[in-house]
Amino acid sequence: MSQDPNHRRSPGRSPGSQSRPPRGEAQLRGPFLLCFGSAILWLLLASVLGLIASLKLQVPSFLNSECLTFGHVVAAQKNIFIYGWASNALFAVNLWLLSQLGRFELRNGWLATLGGLVWNAALAYGVVQIFAGNMNGFNLLEMPREVGPVLIAAFLLVGFWPIVAFARRPTEHSFASQWFVVGASFVFPIVYALTQLLVLWCPAFGPVQALAHSWFIQNLMLLWLGASGLAAIYYFIPKVLGRPLHGYYLATVAFWTYFLFAGATAPSSLLGSPIPVWVQSVGVVASIMMVIPIIITAINFHGTLSQRGGWAQAWNSTTLRFVAFGAVSFTLAGLLSTVFSTRGLNAAVRFTEFTQGQEQLLTYAFLTMVIFGAAYFILPRLTGALWPSAKLIHLHFWTTALAVIGSVAVALVHGYQSGHQLLNPAVTMTQVGSASLAFAGSIFAVLFLIGHLAFALNAFSMIFSSSAPTASEAQSD
Amino acid sequence: MKNLNFLFAGLFFTIALPFGGLLLSSQIQLGSLSRAPAEEGGPLFPAREPGLAIQGRAVYLELGCVACHTQQVRPAGQGSDIARGWGSRPSVARDYVLQPQVLLGDRRLGPDLANFGARAKSDDDIHAMLRDPHSAGYSLQKPDFAYLYVLSADGKKATPTERAVALVAYLKSLRQDNASPEAKLKQ
Repeated sequence: MSQDPNHRRSPGRSPGSQSRPPRGEAQLRGPFLLCFGSAILWLLLASVLGLIASLKLQVPSFLNSECLTFGHVVAAQKNIFIYGWASNALFAVNLWLLSQLGRFELRNGWLATLGGLVWNAALAYGVVQIFAGNMNGFNLLEMPREVGPVLIAAFLLVGFWPIVAFARRPTEHSFASQWFVVGASFVFPIVYALTQLLVLWCPAFGPVQALAHSWFIQNLMLLWLGASGLAAIYYFIPKVLGRPLHGYYLATVAFWTYFLFAGATAPSSLLGSPIPVWVQSVGVVASIMMVIPIIITAINFHGTLSQRGGWAQAWNSTTLRFVAFGAVSFTLAGLLSTVFSTRGLNAAVRFTEFTQGQEQLLTYAFLTMVIFGAAYFILPRLTGALWPSAKLIHLHFWTTALAVIGSVAVALVHGYQSGHQLLNPAVTMTQVGSASLAFAGSIFAVLFLIGHLAFALNAFSMIFSSSAPTASEAQSD
Repeated sequence: MKNLNFLFAGLFFTIALPFGGLLLSSQIQLGSLSRAPAEEGGPLFPAREPGLAIQGRAVYLELGCVACHTQQVRPAGQGSDIARGWGSRPSVARDYVLQPQVLLGDRRLGPDLANFGARAKSDDDIHAMLRDPHSAGYSLQKPDFAYLYVLSADGKKATPTERAVALVAYLKSLRQDNASPEAKLKQ
């Protein structure tokens, strides 16, 4: 692989914007399709479990057995969604992004494939154990502790390649997407290992476990999932629009402030818990400081999309339609998180459905929609085939978009209202019951399932109908 | 941003800062806490859990109860936990010194259980709540745990299994109704 060392491009323009044949994509095909294919299967399973959880909230006697308690179903659904769908998909997308940006040819791709297999096997074991009742009491750490080291080892095999790609890039120039992917891939295994140690293997003192867990959740959501999603947005907006990012020079500030403050926001989700008050205050300050990267990324993304008919172009591009949806959702999620980390507002909405709505805004409306957009761009290039059905693409977008907008809106509004009502001790939990919320949740869960089935059908039809691809067969978006 | 070492050093700093500044310093500040008497010469609190309650804690975890119930009473001004009667004082770090894995929880579909033992009635009432919550007058959204009970041949009498007995013992052991050096009881 060679590249003109004097090669120059305007700042903020995605390096792949120049017309050139994609390289090294054939080597990526195996690991990419393994990770992304298994991600889709996990997504379908998570959708079914999400529907079951919604129905159980509505009718507690539905599928009532010790194996399928509400706690088991919710824990399995969340773990499958985060580690099965999102993480697997990000392994694939991050690897593809960094290979493109660093002109990296994946050698020893079997290591990544092995890592993907081990990751999925460990996750499957962990989920079975959750249903068997062998679980921990911390959100997204429910799987038995022996799963943790295996997941870390698998991550090093499959998730570390973007860092190798960055280290071996043939030019000194680097792009914002690369920083965010390298940061995400570097931070996650360290934080996961430290949390496993402090919470499950050598438990810290009582409430410090909760603090460590909260630190892990913020790192998982913002620095592994969030930074990877931002990397994809930084790549696809200039790439598809064919123009540099607005205010790109600010991206460095966004990157460092995002990574600096994200981990410190952890205590803001423990306001009122039995941890030191000064630690809670640090968390609130960090959450407010997070407004800096939120605003900068908004300038970068929305500023670019607002120029020269960018929104219209985004609407007409399948990839960018999903990615722009994700970019707007990220800004909303960030601003909501900042505003509701203040003590007064947090006291009302903590423990309510509001926090579930915030989580869904980040993990689905932002991250999942960005991953879908990336898939619509990458899969045709890797498989050398067209998406089989435009109708399924439309069905996929509209069902998932409507479902996530409705689901998040209902959770936020109901959570906010019920939280404020419950500040009055005369109001009981039964009086603010979430029966209507559960009913709406079931409707949206069905919509999610339909959308995911449409996406899976389209994607697997394309993958199985494709012959061995060559890079020259890649098509444009 | 061209230098990988610089990038890694910066990223390492962003991990180390909250880890050291928040987690380790909290561990140093709280880690030396131990049980303390409510008044000089009195018994130490929190009380040690009986063996049956320890088994019940495992059942509580196995069933995934933490998905719907928290175990932390927030101070006045941070929600209405105390005014609601869920506790007579806010939870403090010392309350958890004997717990190998804290179960603070992060979602309330049901009431907080940090002080459940202090407001619980009889064992029979708790069993009724677990076996058939709707007949016992609880929210329609509360699931039943009928599989923890064995029905008699005529279906009229339900006998709790060992796990149900252990779970009830655990729920009754959840108490934060002692005065603590960090938090006095609400008068």
